Amino acid sequence: MEALGHLLHGFAAALTPGYLLYAFVGCMLGTLIGVLPGLGPAAGTAILIPLTFSLDATGAIIMLCAIYYGAMYGGTITSVLINVPGEAASVVTCIDGHQMAKQGRAGSALGIAAIGSFVGGTLATVALVAVAMPLASLALKFGPAEFFALMVAGLCLVVGLAGNNMLAALLMTVIGLLFAMIGVDPVRGAPRFTFGVEELYDGIGFVPVVMGLFGVAELLLAAEKRQTHMVEAELKSWMPTGAECRQSVGAIGRGTVVGFVLGLIPGVGAIVPTFMAYVLEKRVSKTPERFGKGAIEGVASAETANNAYANASMVPLLALGIPSSPTIAVLMGAFIVNGITPGPFLFKEQPELVWTVIASFFVGNVLLLILNLPLVGLWAKLLKIPFSYMCAGVLIFCVIGAYGLKQSLFDVWVMLGFGILGYLLRKLDFPIAPAILALILGPMMEKSLRTTLEISGGSFAIFLDRPVALGLLAVPVIVIGFLLFKPRSLAPLRESDIE
Amino acid sequence: MTIRRRTLLAATAAAAVASPALAQNYPRRAVQLIVAFPPGGSTDVGARILAAAAEKDLGQTITVVNKAGAGGQIGFTEVARARPDGYTLGFLNLPAVNTIILDPERKAAFNVDSFIPIVNQVLDPGLIWVKGDSPYKTLADLTEAARKTPGKISACTTGILSDDHLAILMVQEAAKCEFRIVHFDGGAQQITGVLGGHVDCAFDNVGGVFKRVQSGEVRGLAVTDSERSKFLPNVPCTKELGMPTIISSSTRGVGAPRGTPADIVKVIETALLKAIKSPEMQQKMDAVGLALKPMVGAEYAKYYADTQAQAKKYTEWALKMR
Repeated sequence: MEALGHLLHGFAAALTPGYLLYAFVGCMLGTLIGVLPGLGPAAGTAILIPLTFSLDATGAIIMLCAIYYGAMYGGTITSVLINVPGEAASVVTCIDGHQMAKQGRAGSALGIAAIGSFVGGTLATVALVAVAMPLASLALKFGPAEFFALMVAGLCLVVGLAGNNMLAALLMTVIGLLFAMIGVDPVRGAPRFTFGVEELYDGIGFVPVVMGLFGVAELLLAAEKRQTHMVEAELKSWMPTGAECRQSVGAIGRGTVVGFVLGLIPGVGAIVPTFMAYVLEKRVSKTPERFGKGAIEGVASAETANNAYANASMVPLLALGIPSSPTIAVLMGAFIVNGITPGPFLFKEQPELVWTVIASFFVGNVLLLILNLPLVGLWAKLLKIPFSYMCAGVLIFCVIGAYGLKQSLFDVWVMLGFGILGYLLRKLDFPIAPAILALILGPMMEKSLRTTLEISGGSFAIFLDRPVALGLLAVPVIVIGFLLFKPRSLAPLRESDIE
Repeated sequence: MTIRRRTLLAATAAAAVASPALAQNYPRRAVQLIVAFPPGGSTDVGARILAAAAEKDLGQTITVVNKAGAGGQIGFTEVARARPDGYTLGFLNLPAVNTIILDPERKAAFNVDSFIPIVNQVLDPGLIWVKGDSPYKTLADLTEAARKTPGKISACTTGILSDDHLAILMVQEAAKCEFRIVHFDGGAQQITGVLGGHVDCAFDNVGGVFKRVQSGEVRGLAVTDSERSKFLPNVPCTKELGMPTIISSSTRGVGAPRGTPADIVKVIETALLKAIKSPEMQQKMDAVGLALKPMVGAEYAKYYADTQAQAKKYTEWALKMR
């Protein structure tokens, strides 16, 4: 109950006009960062750190956290409207979000994303307050072996449960893993598949790839059809209807749980929870065939998981001082510059500050909702721009985004190349999502497997000694076995497709 | 192409004519400072503090640009290839620059002579640490265990051929013991790895962990330096422990691509050195646990060359163990 008292004090502090203003400005800037492709949350937050130098420590942190949440939501807008994910976490939103926009339901998609983000973010913060300390120390037990097992389970679940054409999905996964191999070997440091090209030493950039596969490919497909508008359907609604909201309730609840649990494990990254939540939603749905064709639950689950993850990943930071993603690492840098060292002693030594910041998470989530719901209509109106202008605009937007990421012209070529590849794959009806997930998980899987083997001295028996890892590795085996021996019961699911 | 060549010719001609006056005009626009590591890390934090402080004296904005990847190789390559006009500078991390050059598998596009070292900012000594409740109370406890059970005690680095990796090799050499070396990516993974009980000890730098040592969450066994760190006065240094050959640190300073005119280098050196020696810099760097070590001119050049020589021995050794 002591925590509750602290939290109330925290609210009193967070709700002072000055701090409210910082949170508001942070949300606005963050949304802008999320909208601009290429300028991901990590880079955006880093750039804005100097802005907070003149504020006091609490104010600075409130603003930076608000920027972080804002950026996580901002990526949704471009995903829905023009099929360009502003950052990795909104890749899944493209799948159904852009289809909804094509049906004139952009308002509904953006609205449910804002509501889902709010609910997921708020509930995750409640959970953070309740269980931060005990759960954080459990997360430490998650070593490289468990991490590898989790990644394998995630990849198998997404590929195995999502595809209508298992062979095509497997093929795309392998292609994704092969692309993931490009770059410097994570253990020996030797370049692989780089052909002497210096830019490839760091691997293929993820953001240019998804902007190409989704955004540029979409433009090429649209250009084929001589459209007058990016989206031809009349804009039907500004807000999700009552029926749509009811449809999304379950998805938002499940998305929160998935996002929160995975957010506790350092290093998972925002894209895995969104994929998992999406696949879970499709699995429990009575009409999985609607997924990929504009199912609002698809958008709701991914967006909720995304924000629940963002809030939950504060647990390892505040309780243990472990940054679980690049963006959180930037935030931690800012905490330290402001004289605050996150870790187990922070709650004891500076309780006022911690609880004020946690209270400001709530405030930030509310502000984000207030800020974004009225703007949904404005964003959706962008779709009224004639296609010829829109097409050029989106392409410029993608080129600047790909370049801006690392100020590298090479990334622009990567994006255009993958745009053409994405176009061909769409024409051939190959699923793109497994390749993207494999591209993200590939390096993490490889690195954690090799670290595990370094720890065990090369023995694979380490996976048998660790119950959590063993359990996680059993999941894909069971699922695949189930698919092989009980094909009929899963028939409706296999008809559908993640794309 | 023609246009570019013509511009280039014109620029070269102009430079030749206007050379003496160049430094007077410098800098006329924003200066780019390339950091070869991601935002939020120790190098980045130090670089941003330096950029903000030196802008006033330089009279132009200094933009910190993170070009992370491949253990710094991407960023260093960018600096080496940049136009030597004083508008692109880079943070040189030693011995990361050295080990990349020395590893033939990396096929580095730069060598020792590709950079002019201008001003050093930080010398962050290495720190050997274990979990707060670990049975190893001293460095001797740890090396004793590693000697009795060769290859069983796991020690983690922040990356292959990082200064921490070299430090492990130095300890193995000095104490005649053998660790099981585990390569992580950066300090955060080390914290999870050691606190979660997945590895036995970690080699990192003082700046990354000093607050955790102060709070007792982790135990510092030794600072790999010839003197104690002012941030950790209770942790012995390797020299006083009788192992003076174990000297390892991450040293970070600003350099320019080879060919940058000497008078421009002088302008940069003056502005940066003034910022580094200012009381505000001292105060800000103390807060983040980074020890300042201003070095310029011949002193810095000698340090750069010495690091190369020291790194050579251990890099070759590390490569042999692959």
